[in-house]
Amino acid sequence: MNAHSTILPEDLSQLSDAQLKKLELKIARKYSGRVPWIAVVWAFGNMAVWLSLWPLVFTGLLPLWAAFPIATVNMALVYLPTHEAQHDIIARPGTKLRWLNELVGHATSWMIVYPFEVLRITHLDHHRHTNNPELDVDITVNSKGPWHAIWNIIAQRQPGAKRNHDYAAALYRAGRTDLIVLSLAYKLGHIAVLGALAWNGYALEALFLWWLPYHIAITYIVFFLSWAPHHPGGEQGRYRNTRSWRSNLGNIGSMGMQFHIVHHLHPYIPLHLTPAAYWEMKPILEARGCRLGI
Amino acid sequence: MERALKLVAYSLPLIFAFAFLVPVIDQGMQAVGLSAPFGLSTLTFALVVGGAWGVIAQTTGRWL
Repeated sequence: MNAHSTILPEDLSQLSDAQLKKLELKIARKYSGRVPWIAVVWAFGNMAVWLSLWPLVFTGLLPLWAAFPIATVNMALVYLPTHEAQHDIIARPGTKLRWLNELVGHATSWMIVYPFEVLRITHLDHHRHTNNPELDVDITVNSKGPWHAIWNIIAQRQPGAKRNHDYAAALYRAGRTDLIVLSLAYKLGHIAVLGALAWNGYALEALFLWWLPYHIAITYIVFFLSWAPHHPGGEQGRYRNTRSWRSNLGNIGSMGMQFHIVHHLHPYIPLHLTPAAYWEMKPILEARGCRLGI
Repeated sequence: MERALKLVAYSLPLIFAFAFLVPVIDQGMQAVGLSAPFGLSTLTFALVVGGAWGVIAQTTGRWL
């Protein structure tokens, strides 16, 4: 038996494509089907901490300089629980806890100023068309290196950026133009809240508790969830469109994305189980010629 | 309706500039003790700088 697996034989070289696929699925199923309560606690705990910063700062119990880094971490932590919900990992349609899956998505995605359904539709489109220059909504993140990527991520958030058009095009393809209007409402609502705070004397609080943390976090999220795991982003196909890689910030510092290849192959595996699934699946991934850096 | 929505979407940089950027510049200057040049109030200065930046973002499609 393989050193990492109770499922795999020692020598995979003689196995057919169908046999490899069967073994891969067997491992993937071993790590799926359980409710990732950690994502649920993470989603609502994170939101509670961020919301508590506002009264703490307004009442002077917490200085703004101390709240700012906490708010930035909170913003960076919003996306991943919604990502679990986007893939129906918390609960699939028709199951008893389906409401919880949808609640996690809808109740927290507003913090990063996106309707949950927009995140879900555009992200699933990314999975369908990964690295396709015409159809991948995340294709604009492709960059020569990390510093270029950071600049590119900021540039693609500008009002006239191609990424905005790519997201709108994905919604259009999905027949959900109503979500383009909802996205606009979210953006206007965000500006309205920021503006109301600012014109009532709380501009710096709005700046350092929401606007700036949001922008730092989105840059961080796109860097680690979109750019790094797909870099250089030129290949398509199930086993080549993403990779495993070693991050200077470690797996937690890169939000679990070192094992992104497992997520693309089996998006129903919860985030916290992808490392274990990766190590068990690794001999198959090597046999498939995947891009493995860890 | 669609035309109105497009107009709002198109005008987001200007809306953002006057709703948020202007008071941020104004209150930011006050917080660090900066005074505006030419005897302007910090709010007037913020309206000029924030407004101009908003117009540039509106016309070029870029804040940076």
